[in-house]
Amino acid sequence: MSMSNIVVFGGDSHPELVTKICENLDIHPSKVELGKFSNGETNIALRESVREKDVYIIQSGCGQVNDTFMQLLILISACKSASASRVTAVMPYLCYSRQPDIPYTAKGAPIISKPKENYTFESHPGTPVSSSLMTQRPGAESSLKSLDSAIRSTINLENPQPIRTPNSSATANNNFDIKKTLSFSRIPMIPGGKLQNTSNSTDAGELFNAQNAGYKLWVVQAGTLIAHLLSAAGADHVITMDLHDPQFPGFFDIPVDNLYCKPIAQNYIQHRIPDYQDAVIVSPDAGGAKRATAIADALELSFALIHKERRSQLLKGPPDATLTSGGSLPVSPRPLVTTLVSSQNTTSSGATGVAALEMKKTTSTSSTSSQSSNSSKFVQTTMLVGDVRNKVCIIVDDLVDTSYTITRAAKLLKDQGSTKVYALITHGVFSGDALERIGQSSIDKLIISNTVPQDRTLQYLGKDRVDVIDVSCIIGEAIRRIHNGESISMLFEHGW
Amino acid sequence: MRKCKIFVGNSHPELGNMVCQRLGIEPAPCTLKKFANGETSVQIGVSVRDEDVYVIQSGSPSINDDIMELLILVSACRGGSARKITAVIPQFPYSKQCKMKRHRGAITARMLANLLVMAGADHVVSMDLHASQMQGFFTKPVDNLYGGPSLAKWIRENVEDYEDAVVVSKNPGGTKRVTALADSLKINFAMIHTDRRRSKDLYSQNKDLQQLKLRKQSMLRKNRPIIRQGDHPNEEENIILSNGIQTARIRNGHVIGDDEADDDEDAILESDSELHSIDGLDSHGLGGTYDAVDSEDEEEIPVLYREQLITLVGNVRGRSAIILDDMIDRPGSFISAAEHLVQNCGAKKVYVVATHGIFTGDCLEELEKSDAIDTIVVTNTYPISGERIAGSKKLVTIDVSPIFAECIRRDHYGESISVLFDSLAAL
Repeated sequence: MSMSNIVVFGGDSHPELVTKICENLDIHPSKVELGKFSNGETNIALRESVREKDVYIIQSGCGQVNDTFMQLLILISACKSASASRVTAVMPYLCYSRQPDIPYTAKGAPIISKPKENYTFESHPGTPVSSSLMTQRPGAESSLKSLDSAIRSTINLENPQPIRTPNSSATANNNFDIKKTLSFSRIPMIPGGKLQNTSNSTDAGELFNAQNAGYKLWVVQAGTLIAHLLSAAGADHVITMDLHDPQFPGFFDIPVDNLYCKPIAQNYIQHRIPDYQDAVIVSPDAGGAKRATAIADALELSFALIHKERRSQLLKGPPDATLTSGGSLPVSPRPLVTTLVSSQNTTSSGATGVAALEMKKTTSTSSTSSQSSNSSKFVQTTMLVGDVRNKVCIIVDDLVDTSYTITRAAKLLKDQGSTKVYALITHGVFSGDALERIGQSSIDKLIISNTVPQDRTLQYLGKDRVDVIDVSCIIGEAIRRIHNGESISMLFEHGW
Repeated sequence: MRKCKIFVGNSHPELGNMVCQRLGIEPAPCTLKKFANGETSVQIGVSVRDEDVYVIQSGSPSINDDIMELLILVSACRGGSARKITAVIPQFPYSKQCKMKRHRGAITARMLANLLVMAGADHVVSMDLHASQMQGFFTKPVDNLYGGPSLAKWIRENVEDYEDAVVVSKNPGGTKRVTALADSLKINFAMIHTDRRRSKDLYSQNKDLQQLKLRKQSMLRKNRPIIRQGDHPNEEENIILSNGIQTARIRNGHVIGDDEADDDEDAILESDSELHSIDGLDSHGLGGTYDAVDSEDEEEIPVLYREQLITLVGNVRGRSAIILDDMIDRPGSFISAAEHLVQNCGAKKVYVVATHGIFTGDCLEELEKSDAIDTIVVTNTYPISGERIAGSKKLVTIDVSPIFAECIRRDHYGESISVLFDSLAAL
């Protein structure tokens, strides 16, 4: 069938993929000037006519993410202004598609893993692994939050409306009580009598948490914004691959075709992994269980699941001081600092008096228990569900950025007797020192697709340890079928 | 609460009235009825000019009527110059249609979000959305409250030996919800997976009978966590291993016992023919997402799936099993999971726990009839008729109206509601 009405532009994020896709379609990529003005603005000039043509713009969301995304938006807008009949954005890896709801450091570890001078209620979120699909967020310290809520309800009960002009003598009285309780409660907490100066803390988030106990750090989720930006720029259609969340097409008002790397992955397992019949498909976190079981079912393999959670160990002490039943609150001297700090924001002298009295009672009780207990440790619990001893393990994940999760999973599998560990990944972003971490990890072989350029990966890890799966045939076939108005359902089973 | 009006729709008046009682105000007067031609009529009996309006309307058996009522109420308040309109939807309707399960299917939850915003809603409050990503469907703020703390509180107070209990997910998609609850209670979790394409036990571990006996013996020994140094000096890492995989076959929604394990020649031939038919269905089913074939909506299952393979990954022997999901609408998968846990995996008790108790058709009655299920725990986000509650021996209903009342109060006064996500004191 004729392909004369099709125009394919390639951005500069992944020129190799653009070339391969055009080879699949047996056409040449159209000429376009991609540059930058001296002030940093992106400069786009189309060198071919797109009037009434079906335009496909191939740009993966990698490299300098914001530059490449702006380039894509400007390309879409330029084609629309030049009277293109339809513009389709082809983004094999959609940037900002993973929306973590827990803040984490550049290394990929959850931000709560650092030791803190101040104890805050947010020290122990429910699941340290970034999870976009979490519908429940119960915390391990919900009882301690009950204490805070009880104090808040007391304050609200006495003063439904906030008092904006506090009494100066009441303020002085508050400061005196707070200071006295602070100095009293800190001595048993610090071994050796060393007094920590909390004002020296350089963690702004930590100070923020201390000032607003009970408030969670809110991580913005930019998925809806990305969808709206693409629509506003003029995109009529979006083609992507292996979206992290199946709900993501719902953010768009335009059709979204989410292609899958799964057929090629299954083909690789069957033809390139020796003795795959006895292998175990492993999901490195709870969110990927569905993906792992889908591949395990298709190939009739066993599967396993890894889950990590970071908890705080409750202090050991007299039984009456560390009750864990739901009817009473566990006593711990450390939350008092947060409570006292939050009390500074209270303007009502009566409420503060009540809270101070409660804290004094709590302090006198907890001083006994704290004398006989060590400082609490952060206990990290790892669950491996499934049998991996003497088995080949294939870790399946759709997106690896910092490789924090997948390297820990590989280490655990090797420790538990796995003979060989493969990592099968769709989008290999590998930001920061992810490649170094993989280089030192227990992963024997890395299988990755080329939705993101993998030249650096091949160069760093070597060709013996890395296999790159080509997905340009799937994307090329999808473009051909979409251009001709055909169904693309067949792509989901056989791949091409 | 000044300059605040709460309208209670017809879908769940009990919950709405309880919320208003907690807040100490009367529901705003309004007349909600239907004309003879089936159209919904809404009349607001009080001025809402410059008021902060909350409309409480949940999902219900008459789902489309109540959606239209909610939209018309919101539109009426918008027309009446309300300053801000918040839709409080304890159970969001059409939440299972939040992704394309078929390649040409509709994402109806997204359409419903568009309808709400177009009607004039400025804010949406819901509980346990089927996927937390659904917040991205709205261009307005969404507060997705959690029923998990309420369920965790009930489990801690009512499940005997809850420290040894295991939270079980009955499909791979719900593992994240299950692990969140297991973490908050500091207990273990397990996963059940039903493969509709495998009608025989093909796991290599169970091919050898001798090895199977050895594995069962090893599972009887209590697993103690491996303790070692963590990443930081003041951290230690506990590794908990649950390496048991136990399978069974399901026929007509029930677990087959071991005495029926022998396959005759006709059964094998039937399995082969089924596999061919299933292959044809797969190409259409895989057009959506990974779980298109393992759809949670059992109505899509054709009669061809007469036999399936159910698998438990984890260990529940001698413990209480808590099957957790966000909603209970059809009984089949719960019953087969409970039977597998009790008959083959040695669970002591089985609790079926969910946030939304939808109980489509005779779902509640079927769960009552199952011998493997001991207790059914749901919250009151979805209206359940009094006759069904009275006729049920296993059903326990948890009141979550204090959470919604506290959320409305904090939202009205501009306070943070983060504490509601974890705290049990809101109850």
